[in-house]
Amino acid sequence: MSPTAVLYVAQAIHGLAYGMLLFLVASGLTLIFGMMGILNIAHASFAMLSAYFCYQVLLMTGNFWVALLIAPVVAGICGVLTERFLLRTVHKHGHLAELLITVGIMTVILEIVKIFWGAESLVVKIPQSLSGLVNFAGLTYPIYRLFIIGLSIVILGFMALILFKTRLGKIVRAAVSDADMVSALGINTPLVFMLVFGIGIWLAGVAGAVAGPLLTVFPGMADQLGMDAFVVVVVGGFGSLGGAFIVALFLGELNAYGIQFIPRLAPVLMFAFMAFVLAFKPMGLFGERE
Amino acid sequence: MRNKLYKWILWAVVIIILAVFPRVFGIYYTNFFVGFVIFSLYAVTLNLLLGYMGVLSFGHAMFFGTGAYATAIALTHIQGFPLLPAVLVGGLAGGLLALILSPLLVRVSGTAFAMLTLAFGQLIFVLALKYREVTGGEDGIGGYPIPPLNIPGVVSVDMTDQINFYYFAVAVIAVCLSILWFYTKTPFGSLVVGIRDNAMRMDYLGFNLPQTKAINLTVCGAFAGIAGAVHALLMKLVSTVGVLDIHNSFAPIMMAYVGGVGSFFGPIIGSGVLHLLEDLVIRFTARIGLVNGAIFILVVLYVPMGLVGLFSATKAKWFHKEKVS
Repeated sequence: MSPTAVLYVAQAIHGLAYGMLLFLVASGLTLIFGMMGILNIAHASFAMLSAYFCYQVLLMTGNFWVALLIAPVVAGICGVLTERFLLRTVHKHGHLAELLITVGIMTVILEIVKIFWGAESLVVKIPQSLSGLVNFAGLTYPIYRLFIIGLSIVILGFMALILFKTRLGKIVRAAVSDADMVSALGINTPLVFMLVFGIGIWLAGVAGAVAGPLLTVFPGMADQLGMDAFVVVVVGGFGSLGGAFIVALFLGELNAYGIQFIPRLAPVLMFAFMAFVLAFKPMGLFGERE
Repeated sequence: MRNKLYKWILWAVVIIILAVFPRVFGIYYTNFFVGFVIFSLYAVTLNLLLGYMGVLSFGHAMFFGTGAYATAIALTHIQGFPLLPAVLVGGLAGGLLALILSPLLVRVSGTAFAMLTLAFGQLIFVLALKYREVTGGEDGIGGYPIPPLNIPGVVSVDMTDQINFYYFAVAVIAVCLSILWFYTKTPFGSLVVGIRDNAMRMDYLGFNLPQTKAINLTVCGAFAGIAGAVHALLMKLVSTVGVLDIHNSFAPIMMAYVGGVGSFFGPIIGSGVLHLLEDLVIRFTARIGLVNGAIFILVVLYVPMGLVGLFSATKAKWFHKEKVS
């Protein structure tokens, strides 16, 4: 294969891996928004928190797999506590207050992270089995990116199974479309909200933990991941999982090829794309409501 | 009659305090006070959107920052650019940006508005970061001359003197705030409040909603730009992280919310409280963000109407006669 083609494929893999990470973050965000009407500004901050937990556990145990398992769960527990004690209290004051309290949470998480781990970039070492390259059909791929793609697909497969094949999934989907009605049918929606919030944060936590070795762990991580995830949710349409999936992959590729061809404008491309979509479809590509 | 007299006395006291402030408190607190008034104007413009029109601007720093950059660029590149036009250029740039974005922004409300302003704020931030030729990138623009306040034939005041600049900045911001105060009292201002309370009804009554929203947005952008321009003159340095950063968008939201959304003077009080708090906290710890964030969470949780709301609620509880129900 010619070197150019190799380059293109490499960029495509980069884009795919990043798009998958984005979707992991954005899926929780869009589900939470669909159910509770809260746009969780602090969502990516929890992903960052999970990345720091991952770093910490790795430091203590030396085992990447254990870290990868524990960090998102701890982040998810933090998320559940946040929902129970902050968001639910403020729910009666309306959507604006809910939006604003997540801004406060984001600020606090950022500062806590800076206090405990400092402001520098921390490097998370990936285990031997995941570093290195694999050869296939004349091309070389970095294993870790393939691992990210594979892991995301497995997780998303499980999520799709739960969402579309179980009773819980049915309740969640019903609550996304009309939470009040579901509550009126006698289902304990606050509990479902708490669960979905926790799972959403857990998904973001997985994304944060596996993104750690890729992006390095630093306090600006939340801004970077969060902004991209918001664009995905807004462009894909609030509450639309399918839309988020398509847009996340598209943005991943846009980002990867943008960096290759017009490096100066790459970060702008995404926002320009978002403005362009919203100019014609204010509800996003696949959204049904504002 | 008596009420009016009280009012005059109150204003006289405020003006005297403002006049003697730099002599009494020294140069550090003079600059501190200028920072406070700049952010007061900035938070008031945000509140005109949040409290009066009912939409949350998450990228308000873009207006502030554009104003600051416009002033800095004008002063750097045009020899002998006078002071007042420099401030006006900032306002013009902020207003122009708001006007350009308004066709998109007026179509959405609620969360979508917040997200769209957030996105545009980031867009402007990244653009300013990448176009080093114009904006100086991360380093920003610094070292531009601060022109004297020159009224031909009458007086020329040196603005590099910090006390003179204090009077100038306070005067500019006071003028802006009073313009905004009267602006909210006009029929147009009531129209904006009407949109917040019931947009559909205003639409049925035959008012042109998109136009009203766009004008209000432009006014807010322009005055936020003026706040940015005065900020640029105060700091003598404009950098992306300093003025366009997302945390600079959050600051006026916190101020407006702590002070009280929907009240005109709430954001000013909020700005004062948070500035004082920062001054206090910085003596013990460098983690101002943690304290600010925690206070913000507590305010959203327990005092959703802010300090002004808390004050009037307390007043109503303790000092009023029986409620007529």
